[in-house]
Amino acid sequence: MADGIPPPDPDGPDPDGPDPDGPEPDGPAPVGPAPAVRPFLVTAGRVAVDADGRSMPVETQVVATTEGLDALDRLAFEQHDIVAVCRLPQSIAEIAARLRLHLNVVRVLAEDLRAAGQLTVHVPDSGVVHDASVLRRVIDGLRAIPDSRGVTP
Amino acid sequence: MTTTEPASPSLRPGGPPGAPAARTATVRPPLPVKMVIAGGFGVGKTTTVGSISEIEPLTTEAAITEVAAGVDDLTHTPRKTTTTVAMDFGCITIDPTLKLYLFGTPGQERFGFMWDDIVEGAVGGLVIVDTRRLDDCYAAVDYFEHRAIPFAVAVNAFDGKVEHTLEEVRWALDVTDGVPVVVFDARERGSVRDALLVVLELALARVAPR
Repeated sequence: MADGIPPPDPDGPDPDGPDPDGPEPDGPAPVGPAPAVRPFLVTAGRVAVDADGRSMPVETQVVATTEGLDALDRLAFEQHDIVAVCRLPQSIAEIAARLRLHLNVVRVLAEDLRAAGQLTVHVPDSGVVHDASVLRRVIDGLRAIPDSRGVTP
Repeated sequence: MTTTEPASPSLRPGGPPGAPAARTATVRPPLPVKMVIAGGFGVGKTTTVGSISEIEPLTTEAAITEVAAGVDDLTHTPRKTTTTVAMDFGCITIDPTLKLYLFGTPGQERFGFMWDDIVEGAVGGLVIVDTRRLDDCYAAVDYFEHRAIPFAVAVNAFDGKVEHTLEEVRWALDVTDGVPVVVFDARERGSVRDALLVVLELALARVAPR
């Protein structure tokens, strides 16, 4: 399953658009919304599902490594932006939102950058849902949040 | 700080076995805990997230799989199409090692969506209800019930008014006694906090019965 990457337009390329297989048209680069095929180009056609058909949870934490930050000057485009924004830990969802990237593009590129040693990717263990101590800490933390009048329960 | 250890026992470095070892993270990431805010279109999901999130709610594109609901489908093979929808979310840093994420699930005003991509691993869900449009939340209630995810129903008191009593809402939604039904105000931080606490207490009671 393509898991969210829009399939190429079944009706073929937009007759008014540039031929993706042809030479670059003369003149300035086109501007405007990215075409639907763009996520495929960025990920070289890969989709963000592992062998079990699962994808990285949206809350998966990603952090730049020192190697990644050292390599920033050599990284381009999305890869550069992802490593740069991960100076502080970010979830996959936050990276996608902040960089305006498709969630699945971030999943694929984060895995690439992890394999290259430029990010660490921390997939949350699903067991956290059943961890009473974690739940109690969240409950205590939430209770400490004052309401709009500064009153805590 | 540098470490090659996972951020906590509940976080494992990603990637398939045998992949190159993770390098040195510059910062230890917090353990993410996820809650889902569900409900029909325009019911106050983003307002709810925004009232308590420490960041302005962010929007990202999420993929959802739409299973065509067809009683006339004799093959019983769901026809699936993947749709990209906007998903709003926010977060609350509990402490440097623990962060609560609130994800608003998109598209549940229509039947037949699968939100597994968002809901997988969530500690619980809050189904927001507008009593003027109760129908809009049936899909969300069904979804959580079928997946045995702890959830509560929160009636959003638009303009401080609720058109039906909680018992009427409970009856109309046909939820079991184990599902809390509360009234809240999506614009009020303390009210949102208390509604989230109802869900978390429910989740805790399941794993650590008193």
